[in-house]
Formats: sequence, C-alpha cells, structure tokens
Amino acid sequence: MKDKLFREILPLVSKPVRYTGNELNMISKSWTESQCRMVLAFPDVYEVGMSHMGSKILYGLVNEKTDHLLERSYAPWPDMEALLRRNKIPLYSLESYRSLAEFDVVGFSLQYELSITNCINMLDMAGIPIHSSDRGETDPMVIAGGPVVFNPEPFAEFFDAFLIGDGEEILPEYLDLCYAVRGLPRGDKLLAMAKIRGVYIPALYRAEYGEDGLFKSLMPLQEGVPDRIQKRVVTDFDQSYFPDRPIVPYMNVIHDRAILEVMRGCQRGCRFCHAGMVYRPVREKKVETLIRQAGAQIKSSGYEEISLSSLSTLDYTGIKSLVTQLVENYGPCGIGVSLPSLRVDAFSIDLANEVQKVRKTTLTLAPEAGTQKMRDIINKNITEEQLLEAVQAAFESGWNSLKLYFMFGLPYEEEEDLAGIIRMLKEVKAVGSRYARRAVEIKAGLANFVPKAHTPFQWHQQNSMEEFDIKKEYLIKARGKDRGIKLDFHNSSTSFMEGVLARGDRRLAPAIYKAWQYGCKFDSWTEYFQYDQWCKALEETNIDPGFYALRARGQEENFPWDFIDIGISREFLWQEYEMARQEKVTLDCRQDGCNDCGICVEFGINMEILEEQS
Amino acid sequence: MRIRCEYLAGPELKFLSNLDMMRMMERALRRAEIPYALSEGFNPHIKLSMGTVLPVGLWGKNEYFDLELKNRVSPDWLIQQLNTVLPPGVKIKRVKEIDYRQPALMKIINSAAYAFVLQEILLADLEQLREELMQRPDWKVKSRGKKKDVIKDLKTGIYKIEMKGQGDSVIINLTVATGEPVNIRFDELLDLLLSIGIKEENIIDIYREANYVKIQEKYLTPLEKVI
Repeated sequence: MKDKLFREILPLVSKPVRYTGNELNMISKSWTESQCRMVLAFPDVYEVGMSHMGSKILYGLVNEKTDHLLERSYAPWPDMEALLRRNKIPLYSLESYRSLAEFDVVGFSLQYELSITNCINMLDMAGIPIHSSDRGETDPMVIAGGPVVFNPEPFAEFFDAFLIGDGEEILPEYLDLCYAVRGLPRGDKLLAMAKIRGVYIPALYRAEYGEDGLFKSLMPLQEGVPDRIQKRVVTDFDQSYFPDRPIVPYMNVIHDRAILEVMRGCQRGCRFCHAGMVYRPVREKKVETLIRQAGAQIKSSGYEEISLSSLSTLDYTGIKSLVTQLVENYGPCGIGVSLPSLRVDAFSIDLANEVQKVRKTTLTLAPEAGTQKMRDIINKNITEEQLLEAVQAAFESGWNSLKLYFMFGLPYEEEEDLAGIIRMLKEVKAVGSRYARRAVEIKAGLANFVPKAHTPFQWHQQNSMEEFDIKKEYLIKARGKDRGIKLDFHNSSTSFMEGVLARGDRRLAPAIYKAWQYGCKFDSWTEYFQYDQWCKALEETNIDPGFYALRARGQEENFPWDFIDIGISREFLWQEYEMARQEKVTLDCRQDGCNDCGICVEFGINMEILEEQS
Repeated sequence: MRIRCEYLAGPELKFLSNLDMMRMMERALRRAEIPYALSEGFNPHIKLSMGTVLPVGLWGKNEYFDLELKNRVSPDWLIQQLNTVLPPGVKIKRVKEIDYRQPALMKIINSAAYAFVLQEILLADLEQLREELMQRPDWKVKSRGKKKDVIKDLKTGIYKIEMKGQGDSVIINLTVATGEPVNIRFDELLDLLLSIGIKEENIIDIYREANYVKIQEKYLTPLEKVI
C-alpha cells in the first residue's frame, strides 16, 4: 500500500508531505507488543493538527509512559481524499500506514463544533460505521475529547465514549481499562468504561424532552451509570507530563516551534469565554521546570523559536523571569521567544520588546469591545486608558502594524457600542500617527459573538445572521474612507451553525449526518462551508436551528449539558449573567479574593500559583 | 571557516520542497550544536546556502550545501555530529573546507545527471528506442518552466544517455545542462522519454544522481571544483 501511495498517489496531490509521516521524533511502537492500539484522529489537515498542543502531550504520554500505542491521522485535503477513495485505500495512520479500522480506539480531538463533519468523513474513509449503534464487536471504540465535548450531546450518536477534561489525566486510565476488558462483549465494555470518572458513554442514557420541545433530563438507562459526569483535572500541573521530544514536521505547519505550556486555566473571568470557564482552576508551572523543558525540546528538535502558551500568558506569575532567562540562554544561537497573546497594558509591550529585539511584525491585542460599558458587561477588565497606553508604548518602540480583536453581537449591545469600536480604532490610529515613525496600519478582526455552553451567556440569544450583517454594514459605514483601518469579518452563516451546535442536543444528530451526506466537510474553511446544504439537512430533518441559536433561555430551563460538571456552579454562572446585565465587573480571584465559582471546593483542589516574583 | 557538504537526500524525503529541506538542515545544525555563523541584523539566520533546487518528488544521491562556521572544526567531527541527529534517509557524505572567495554553488553547478529506473522492459528494447531517438533531428518538448507554451529543443542540452541493467530493472542515466545552452528540467526529460514510447507505469523511480561543474568535457563534482 505504501509503495502504491508513494509511486502513484502522492506525486499527484498538493503538499504530499502531509501524508508521509516519518518525521523527526515520530514514535513507532511495536504493534504486536502494545496493549491497546489507538489512533489520534485530528479532524482537520495536517498543518492544523500538528500545531495542536494537546495532541503533542497525549502522543508523547501514551507512547513513552504506557504500554499502549498512539499513532496519528489527519483529515486528508479533498484532492487526496478523492484519490484515496478512487484507489480504495482506507484512511491510514502516519506511523504504521494501517487503516483506522484496525485500531482498538479511534480518538478524535474536537476543537471546534463544525469539525464534526470531518470526523464523520474520516470514519467513512476507513470503513468504520458512522453511528455508534451500528458498530460491532470488531469495530474500534470511537471516542472524542477536547473543548467541544463539554457539551457532547449533539454528537452523541457518533461516538462510543467522550472523555471530559484534561486528557493526560483520563486517557491512560481509559486505555488501561480498554485493555483489561478486551474480549468482553461491546455492551459490557461500555458499561465498564462508564465507571471511569470523566468518561461519558452516551448510549447508556436517554434524553427526555417536554411537550414544549424543551430539554428535560438525561436519564441513565442502567444501574451504576453516573447521572453526572465530572471533568478530570490535572492537579500537580508542574510535574505533569510534557513532551521533551516533540515531532518536528518537514512542512511548514501553522505553529512550527517549540511550545512551553506555562499555565493552564485562566481566572480573568471574561463572561464570553468558554475556555476560561471549563479549564479552571489556574495552574502554573515553575520557572525552572519550564527552563528544563525548553532545553530538552530545543536539543531534540532544533527549533528556531520557543512559544509560551496558555490562555493568558502575560498573567503567568513567573513571566518576567522566564522570558529573561530564555532570551539569555537562546538569543546568542539565534533562537527566539514568542508570546502568542499579549495583555492590553504597557508591561506587556515592554516584555514583547524584550523578546522581539528582532523584527517587529504585527502586534496583536484584544480589547474585545469598544466601550467601557460593553467591556464591563463581558467582564473584560481593561480600560481605554490602558489600551491607549499599550498602543503608544508599542508605536514608540517601533511597531507600526497593530491588529485588534473585537466581538460584536454581544449581549445588551447598542449602537453606541458598535460606534465605540470604530471610535477606538480611530483613536488608536491617531496615537499611531503621533508616535510611530512610519505610517501605521491598523487591522481589526471582528468576530461574531456565539454564546457557548457553561458560560454566563449560555442563557442569552445569539444575534441572527441578519442582525450580524446589518451591524457589519454599520461598522463598515462608520469606518468610512479611512484607508489605514482594515476590518476583517467572519462569515455570519458559519457563526450561526456554530451557535446551533454549541448549545444543541441529541436531536441534531440526524441533521449533522445528512449535512455530511450532502457533502459538508472542512466546514471551518470558508471555501468549503456550504450553508445551503446545512439548511437543506436541517429542513429535511424538521429541525428549527433558531430554537438552539436564537432563543433566550429562562433561568430555570434545564440544559442538555448541565450533567457535565465543569466544577463551576450554575448559580455562579447565573449570578455572572445578572452582573453582566447590571454592567458590573467581577475581579480576578487571584488578586481580589474568592468569587465562589465553586471549582476549588468541588474538586478539592487549589489553584497552583507561584510565589510572586519581582 | 567555510565548508561545502555533499549529502544524500534519500527517497524517504523526496516530497520535501527546497524550503522544507533547508529548514530540516538548519534544525539539524542546531541539534548537533554545530558552531554555525549567524548573519548580522535584526533577524539573524544561519549562513547556509543550498545548491540547486531538488524538485519535489525526486530524491538526490549527491546534493550540496555551503555553510559558514564561527570557528574551525574538523570535517570528520562535523560529519559525525550531523549524521547522529539527521532524520533517517539523510546523510552527510563528504565535507571540504572552501575559501570565502569561492562562488556559490548556484553559480558553478551547470550540469546534472538524472536517473530513471524502469521495470518490465528489456535493455535491448531500450537500446532500440535510443537508436530511434538519435535519428531524430531535434528533441522537442513543451517547456515545463515558467514559459509554459514554449517548445524547447533538448538536444543540445543532453550530454550523455547511458543505460545499464541492475537486478530486474534498467536505469537510464541522462546527463544534462542546467543553464547554458539550455536549462533542462527532469519533467521535460520525462516527457521526452514518454514521447519515444516508454510507458509511465514502467518508471518506478526517478532521482538525481549527480550535480556537476562541467568544464569542457570534464564533469567535476562541486567538491572537486573549488576554485
């Protein structure tokens, strides 16, 4: 098969290196000597999947620290898919070139709601039954993890199990059990799996709905099946596994650099932020741990850049000391340090200056909203003054291109809030003309706000496509002829479908399946997203998408995702929603004392914060 | 110190682009802790320059790059250091110190040899095809380069056509000009071979056998020709 691939197929496709594997630091474990054989299937192309940090962690962890085996597979680009299908070659793993169907476990990483169509497509390309109920004794267990599965219900029919929470905590345990129950009938295996904390087996539950169509409850069908699924959390984060020998791709992938995960979780408490809620509590690594990890990765990879990753890297307590040491150690050999996201303040710019002694490319900041009122509503605790200070510092130290991220369609948004975005952009540009040495370029990324499950805005209605489009026109008009300000919008139909799935329930599965049958795949790629096909699929399955995306929910309404326990109480989320309505902020509990979100108490754990360093 | 390296870019890496190959080599230099020299300026980079581009889909038996070092090292040490960290399929074969004044590889390489490995075809039949080819007044193919519609005559640029049996396959080795009098690409050679009746499914492998500095009738490797 490999020979045919190399001779007849790969020479015909774009970017064949996506499909060859054999990269530096790839791990090929013995198929026969491994206990459980799993393939980590990433439902997007190689260069996206290879940039995903969680996959790197799980790949190293399972292969280095357990007796199981973990290989990789990515969604083939449509040109490759067509050739594989035409030549009857099943979708294969990059390590052993085996069909996904040969593995014991096929695990998908769900980073984005709309990647579900690619999951289905990948299963189909390997000849694995798409619905969990159609899989037999010899079929793999198809599982999923990642941020999307904190509301697994819309995808329930397609997966045998969902692993909720930090993967390094739960996956090894899951694979141990898979090996232990080998040989048992599939039903017994599933029942055994349901007993692992954090594992959700959708086939063992029945969803009930009221006559009004609202979700009522999710009932376990058997004794011993938990009615709540508690997410898993890495407790000793500093000592948790992190790969010293990451795979080094040959082709240029999106994030092609050494990564240090300095911190997990974020307690800024931005009310729109899904990750900020589901990945609590904050856990930091020690500076010396990170320095050691950097050394090991650079030695094994030869990377030219080290990136400091987390939800809010500038909030990492040891940031200054870490950056100083990394620059000192690696600057002389031409190895750079990069900060993926900057906090909106002057300190961040100073630090960015330190690491970017080199080229000053575009600087990215995320004020998220254009007025103080709106920022208070979403709890983005920065002031206009802080932003302008940061911007001035950036222009003074040589940047002349800025990218600012905003959202619109936020709860309680009014015209003045939209006007505020443009006003802010113009002010930033004015600061630029005053302090920058050259003409400045201001780019604004304007995202459509999509309310997500497990956030304070889970009760709130999303803007309709028409509302988004009207607001978009308004923003463009308000910007006027100012050539120095570029506005970059998202597709409103994509956001609509994302919103439907984000707060959906089990009843959506037939529509998802149909959409795939109608050719939907790579839905996160604008050039492939087919809104008309999704509409057709929803219509034919009698689903009103507005019910999910555009409807405001009452305080007491039960949600299909309530049974997933992320450690934050519903009461806290509701209280935050109320605070938003009152335009009141909630400060970061690291500085301002506990806000009673519930995470530390419920999980009996503490935040892992370093001693304050000067 | 400036050095010139000869390396094998094996079949495993035949789908790498020139940029991929260069990035791979730079990362290997870092892993091996070679005392490479960095360029000046705000965005320092390793002073590495690759030889002529190896087309995607081909592997190379004898490829070349030049590298500047901060201090002197022994070529044997460098070969050993690099070969320990290079991915399977890539191997440094020879290293030679060269003078800073010597022109770049791209300037001196003016010829290359491409090998086409064929199966299920007899050497005698191939000899026959070659005879027919020699009879033709010109060897015209459509250009595969930037000017797509131009018809190119390859005859003046093909210096040698050699054939030999190897196991159950036959290898056609074509030594051609890269640049003056005509720049010949491997895919144009492929088109030429197909035009005389060789079937695509019989070609099981294509690789670049050598890069030459051709001086009159002499074919020197870039390691031999260093002045």
